[in-house]
Parts: sequence; C-alpha cells; structure tokens
Amino acid sequence: MGLAQIASGALHRSTRFTYKPYILRSIVSTPDRHNSGASAAAAAPAEPDLPPRTPVGAPGSTSPIRKTQLSRLSIAGNCRMCLVEVEKSPKPVASCAMPALPGMKIKTDTPLAKKAREGVMEFLLMNHPLDCPICDQGGECDLQDQSMAFGSDRGRFTDTKRSVVDKNLGPLVKTVMTRCIQCTRCVRFATEVAGVQDLGMLGRGSGEEIGTYVEKLMTSELSGNVIDICPVGALTSKPFAFKARNWELKGTESIDVSDAVGSNIRIDSRGPEVMRILPRLNEDINEEWISDKTRFFYDGLKRQRLSDPMVRGADGQFKVVSWHDALALVAEVIHQVKPEEIVGVAGKLSDAESMITLKDFLNKMGSNNIWCEGNGSNPNADLRAGYIMNSSISGLEKADVFLLVGTQPRFEAAMVNARIRKTVQATNAEVGYVGPPADFNYVHQHLGTGPETLTELAEGRHPFSSILSTAKNPAIIVGAGIFDRKDKDAIISVIDAIAKKSNAVTPGWNGLNVLLLNAAQAAALDLGLVPESDKSIESAKFLYLMGADDVNLEKLPADAFVVYQGHHGDKSVYRANLILPASAFSEKEGTYANTEGCAQTTVPAVPTVGDARDDWKIIRALSEVAGARLPYDTIGAIRARLGTVAPNLLHVDERVAATYSTSSLRPEVKEKMDKRAPFETSIENFYMTDSISRASKIMAQCSALLRK
Amino acid sequence: MASVLRSALKSIREKGLRGFFRELKDEGFLSALLDGNLMQTKIHNIGATLVGVDKFGNKYYQKLGDTQYGRHRWVEYAYKNRYNASQVPPEWHGWLHFVTDHTGDELLLLKPKRYGIEHKENFSGEGDEYIYHSKGHSLNPGQRDWTRFEPWQPKKD
Repeated sequence: MGLAQIASGALHRSTRFTYKPYILRSIVSTPDRHNSGASAAAAAPAEPDLPPRTPVGAPGSTSPIRKTQLSRLSIAGNCRMCLVEVEKSPKPVASCAMPALPGMKIKTDTPLAKKAREGVMEFLLMNHPLDCPICDQGGECDLQDQSMAFGSDRGRFTDTKRSVVDKNLGPLVKTVMTRCIQCTRCVRFATEVAGVQDLGMLGRGSGEEIGTYVEKLMTSELSGNVIDICPVGALTSKPFAFKARNWELKGTESIDVSDAVGSNIRIDSRGPEVMRILPRLNEDINEEWISDKTRFFYDGLKRQRLSDPMVRGADGQFKVVSWHDALALVAEVIHQVKPEEIVGVAGKLSDAESMITLKDFLNKMGSNNIWCEGNGSNPNADLRAGYIMNSSISGLEKADVFLLVGTQPRFEAAMVNARIRKTVQATNAEVGYVGPPADFNYVHQHLGTGPETLTELAEGRHPFSSILSTAKNPAIIVGAGIFDRKDKDAIISVIDAIAKKSNAVTPGWNGLNVLLLNAAQAAALDLGLVPESDKSIESAKFLYLMGADDVNLEKLPADAFVVYQGHHGDKSVYRANLILPASAFSEKEGTYANTEGCAQTTVPAVPTVGDARDDWKIIRALSEVAGARLPYDTIGAIRARLGTVAPNLLHVDERVAATYSTSSLRPEVKEKMDKRAPFETSIENFYMTDSISRASKIMAQCSALLRK
Repeated sequence: MASVLRSALKSIREKGLRGFFRELKDEGFLSALLDGNLMQTKIHNIGATLVGVDKFGNKYYQKLGDTQYGRHRWVEYAYKNRYNASQVPPEWHGWLHFVTDHTGDELLLLKPKRYGIEHKENFSGEGDEYIYHSKGHSLNPGQRDWTRFEPWQPKKD
C-alpha cells in the first residue's frame, strides 16, 4: 500500500513538473475556459501560454456584449461590462459603444479584458446590496449572471454601502433603488420608446440616482416594460412581488387578447394560476414590448370566474345545474322560437374556432343573425382590405405622413402607437389627427374633430392635404370606433377619396388602414359574422351571447331568453337566463387574427376553472342535444372548416395581405356624413376594456391612480 | 370449579337474581357464550391475579406458576363486544408485551406532561368520521383551500 502511494505520488509530482505552465495558468475564474486551455496545453505543451482565440461573434466566443445594449434603445456605454482589448488602443474600450472599423483587431478574451471586467464588476457590486435571496429578480438577474461569469470571488470593499430612497412609480412598478446600477436603460426606454419624460438621472458620482424629478407616478401605458429591461432588481413588478421565483414558473408562449394587436406573450404559470405575463419578441407586431394592460390584467383571470352552468329560476335567482340539464334547456328553448328570432353575438375575446362553430350552429338552426361586438350592426366584411391594417404594423415604419381618423392609438393599440412614435422619432414623419382632443406622446397636428375636416381634406382645402399629397408613403389609419356610427359608409367613402388624392394606395404600398379594437374583430369579419338585419336584437327571442359583454341589451324584449356563454361574470350575466361557463384565452387553444390580419394561436397555459369547457366544445355539444349535430369533433377538424371559409386564418404567424384594395371596388354611397356628430373617443378607460380587465384588481388600481 | 360456584351463589345472595344476571352481562359472560376468545380469557382468569385496571377499564391479569412462560400476562378488554389490541394504552403496552415489569400504573408517571396526548384507539373500518386523514387529504376538515380562482357569485337581491 505504502509503495503504491509513493509510486502514485511520484507520478503525480512528475506530471505536475512537466505541465507546470498549465498549472500556473489554471487560476482562472471560469471553469470552461480553464478546461479548454487545459486540453490545448495538453495537446501542444510547447505553445505559448495563451487561451484559444475565437473570432468575435463566432459561436462559442465569450463576447460580453449583453449588458446595457438593447437593440431598440440608444447606446449609453454606462456599465462598461463589455470592455474589450483593441490593438493599438491604450485602454480597453466599451465594445457596445465603439463602432468596429476595418482592420481593427479586437480581442474579447484576453487577460487584460478579463481583468478590466473583473475590476468593473467589483465597482458595480460595491454599492449593490447583497439581498439576492429576497430580491424578486433573483434567478433572472443580469448582474448575477455577469458576476458569475466575470466577477471576483471576493470583494475588497469594506466601507458602508450607499442607500437610495425608493421612488413611487405607481401601482405597477416596484422600486428598490438601492439595487440600481445606473445603467439608465429605464430612462432611455421611457424617453425613447414610451415617450414620457418622467424618469431621469439625478446627481453625479456616487450620489447619482434614477428617479422622477418630482414625486410623480409613471403615467405611461408601456411602463411595465421597464421591469423587463431593468437588469437588476431595482424595478420589479409590484403585483408579482414575492409571489413566485422564476424557476418555479412554466412558460407558455401565447397571444394576448386585450387589444387587436395580438402581442406575443409568454404566460408564466405555477400550477393552476397565471403568475405573470411577459412579452415575447416579434419584430412584426410588438417588438419586445407589451402594454400594461396585457402585462397586468392576468389577475382578472382568477376573479369573477363562471365555474358552473347556472339557470335563472322563476324567482330570478341563479341555480347551479348540471351540463346535461343546462344544454337540454337551451335546446328546448331554441326549438320553441322562430329561426329569425335567434340571434348570436360573439364577444370581443372570442377565438375564430368558437365563432365559426357558433355561426355554423345558428345557421343550422335557421338563423343568420350573428355578429361580433365592436363591428357595428352593419359591418362590411366583403373585402378584407376594408377592415385590416393593410400596411402591416411593422410597415408603418416606412410611412412618412400619418393621418389618424377617429382613433387614439395610444389607448386603442399601444403597440401600434409605439410603432408610430418610433417612426416619428426616426424620420420626423408628420402626424395629422382628426378626432376629439386626445393624448399623444409625439408631435402631431390636431386637424379637427369631426367629419367636415375629412371633407376639407378630400377636397384639398385643408392645409394638411398638401402634406398628404406630397407624401411618398402616407398611412391613413381609421379607428374602428367609426364602425358604430350610422354614417360609417359615407365616412369610409370620403376617406377613400382622400386616399385616392394622396398616394396612399400604390402598387408597392397600401397605406389605407383600419385599426381594430378587439382581438376577435378581424377573425369575425374574415368568417363573415354579419347580421342579416341591424334591428335583429329588437326582435330577438333567443339571444346567444358568446362572451359578449359590451353589447347593448336595452332594446332586447323582456321575454327574450338569453344564454350567456363566457368566462367572467361581467355585464351581460345580469340579463342572462342561463350561464354556460367557458374557458378564458389562457386556458384554450384558439386562433386570433390581429388588426393587420395576422393569424396567431393561443396555447393553454393553465387548466380551466371549475366545470368550464372550451367554447367550441360547448356549442358542439349543444348542437348534438339540439338535434343539429355539427360535423367536427376536434380542433383540427374545426380548423379544416376555418380553412374553407377563411384560409388566411390557417396561416399561423404569417401575415396574409389582402388581395384587392377596397377603394376601387366599393359601391357608391348615397347617404351623407353626419356633419354635426364629431368623432368620439372609442376607449374611455384604457385599463378596463374587456371582461378580464374589468375583473382585475390591478387594472382597477391603475384606472383609479393613473387616469387623470 | 367449586370456588366459582361458591362465589356465584354468594353474589346471588348479595345482589339478588336480577342483579346477578346484570353483572353476568356486564362482565361479558353472556357474550362469552358466543365468543370463544372471551370465553378462553374468562376461563384463563380463574385463579389469576389482577395486576391493574387502566383508565379505559381494561383489566390486566398475570398468572405465574403453572402457566407457560410468555403466556402469563393478558388483558381482558373493557368492551366485551368490540375489542382490539389498539385499545391498550401505551403505558400498559410494555408490561403486557413483556418489555418491562413495571405496570402501567407505574409507567403512567413517565407520561410527558407538556406534549403527551390522550391515547386513542384505532378506529379504522369504523366509519369515515373515525378515519385519520392527513393534512393534505381532501377529507381532512382542516384542509387548505387550493382553489386558485374566485367564482362569480350571483347577486342575492
């Protein structure tokens, strides 16, 4: 035993002696580089003592460019964690702010660069509190990652740490300003993307801090994005504070339904509850931002949920019944009324699958009075170009003049507004606005409030019409709020005339856009959910509301039987005779078409609540009970049916442009515009637009605190 | 046998015939006619010494001498119709199973004052209300509410 030990010890010593340079080198902080160096040294011990080089940008290179650089923000070079060595440069340079020039020799992985970064890291951690265990950013913190990669194993700082007073930024963003490392990402985001000048840098040196200059809440509809871009835990989500750790969450990549943009989101859930919603990168739709409503209305998914089928008894009280009895009752009532008295209304959160199922079912029952709320009583679904954003959301960046008609994009579609703002900032595009006085976060001209301004523009009498006619790519954006007006067709024909006078519709550019309000609208029009008569609700005896809460039920006859199928006890349940619980967008598979006509699908992130079922399954079951069985049993079969009606809905995640432009194909409009009626604000409260956001406590707080 | 008869006659004299029969019933002699186990115990009891009675009324007997070693301690349960081994409280368990020679009455002094809990017999199979449900079990009355949504409540007007 002793001999063996001695022998192995001698062997060991001899090895150590042979590879002495490698052993000296092995004191490095990152183990992977240590290993690669080891193999290289073992293979060719005669090589000079340098780590293997990989060119910048090659896979496997340890390029440190990741900290303050976000491609959509300006470059500040604040944190200096991306220091690299450049040949013939006396000092290491911050690679994020240094343009690469021909012939430049950049070394990202030299001992000098590593030492420089380690020194910078030490400075960054000097005033950073050691509260990672109680920090909400823990596990997804850029500073943690950086210090793991480049940090020293010990600090030399012995003084007291700086502390900063927390700022009150409102009900959404929680601040722990002591954690701030002054990367100024939030300041740059607020001024450049959100367009609010609320945040700024105060003080110099160690007294430097981020804050609102005066005590002020952050009043932006994009304020939640500062949570994502904050690399440390200085700005975190207030509703999510201390609720979960990011490694406990299951991420599901889905689609937002709170507006017509269809922002790409990731639903983070733990067990049966949605814990938070984060944006997903989609350059064509939402870039990497989402609006506050999208981000924070998730707590509405847990409140006021309909969990059991209920029937209103003779005493006016709701009573829980079984699915069997509920469906049997609906089937009995629907056979007692005349076919033309059956009316169906799809809600603003309905997916295309359930809408086609509802339409097919009611058609089988002999009625064709189906529409989607928000589209008005007489929607024009004939030509797809007439109701989608033809220039596409990302295409708005090519526009040089905007004409907004009756739309306040800041509240109707915050992401579209961010895109317009981006264009205005980048190219100084002109923005003209026709509508009621509204809040804009970019330079604009308020041309007028009513239809007479449109006539002036069409006839070329308005000063703005010269700007429009000389524009190369003018974008006219019509708000979906005018769909509810009686003189809708006349207004659209005038807008067509404006488009013809300017170059709004050319072979390479279609700038005649409609900005829709709700997630279901585009798909509903694609599927032809158009009522036969605009007076159908007055004569209805059987009304099927599929999540429709904003439909006006005042004129509904008192003896009408109302079935409400939906996920929230919101407005319409109080008129309903029978409630069928359905699943929300986070719990089902569904296709949604956004305002630019791009079909996207949601994926179930959490299980349905209580005894609720998917919308299409309810109607499919009902059709069988009612004796008019629909021919599809799976979501795939419904999608095949969708493909026969609106093939563009099957092109998931790719936008199918409208084939024809509408302006030349529209029939003559005889009626005149109602000159006395100015355009109205279509969204009164940005934070409460649908049944989910109306049930949300966070949204209620926001609308109480952030609306002026 | 003669002594049994003598004591029976004595108790008839003292309590009357009716009292005698009640005592026969309470002591389980009537059930013993149909229950071989109990009858065996009763026969065993003749000539044995009663070491103690616990708080449930179980009687602990011991008979040294002509009894086989290992069978010289036994219990006569208080419940004559529904008895099982879990009715023996822990302080008597050691004595009964030859773990110790200290009787339950002596060991009762060792029962922890602060955290010692009352002995409960095993009610398995005696009905749902007696079954032990762990903390996470859905039938545990202290079960946490894991519902993660608030259902809509129709307004009562």
